[in-house]
Amino acid sequence: MALRSIITGRESEMPKSNIQNNIRRLRFNAGEMTQQELADLVHVSRQTIVAIEKGNYSPSLELAFRFAHIFKTPLEEVFIYKPDDK
Amino acid sequence: MSYQEKQNIVNIFTGLLVTVIFALMVYQRHQQGQFDLTEDFRTWGVVFLIFIGISVVVRIIIQIIFHILNTIATREADVPVEDERDKLIKLKATRNSYYAFTSGFVMSVLGLALGMPVYWIFIAFVAFGLIAEIMDNGSQIYYYRKGV
Repeated sequence: MALRSIITGRESEMPKSNIQNNIRRLRFNAGEMTQQELADLVHVSRQTIVAIEKGNYSPSLELAFRFAHIFKTPLEEVFIYKPDDK
Repeated sequence: MSYQEKQNIVNIFTGLLVTVIFALMVYQRHQQGQFDLTEDFRTWGVVFLIFIGISVVVRIIIQIIFHILNTIATREADVPVEDERDKLIKLKATRNSYYAFTSGFVMSVLGLALGMPVYWIFIAFVAFGLIAEIMDNGSQIYYYRKGV
């Protein structure tokens, strides 16, 4: 358990992420924009867009604002914070 | 598989190849009596410097070959631009690599304290240097696959 948390950098009890996003839907609404097109617009790799859409990576605040700016929508429309029910 | 994952796999094999071949060559010369690595620590210094030089040159050559082969296979000549996710992954991988090397160093010092011969610390440096490198590249592959 200790080694795993050292390698992963996550505590074993920690959930994957509390942040969800609507990027896939927003891309679709923006004329079926491809992942590569969006990646070029926000200056990241296509793999990063894939990871964000899957919830495997939470972007920096600056990148999150760039998404909102590209989609011309408020930040909370792109990313949603879902707190634990505890 | 992404460019970065392939690059990390190549790095692991390059590190293993260079270290194992170089270690065998040095050991062979030691066995033949060309130098005595159990007593002559100046030779260790020379061996380490040669190893660093050879390692850098071999890595550059293998990276060039990898890039050419990857371009032929994928028809994508451009190397992906490093973004914030890549930087974060590299940072975490470096941290893991540092943990691996530090534990190796502590174990070596512990070995010295327990009466192991001094030359063992140099062997431990080589071994844990390799382990730290594998940890670095392995961690990067893990983070690229599982998320960061």
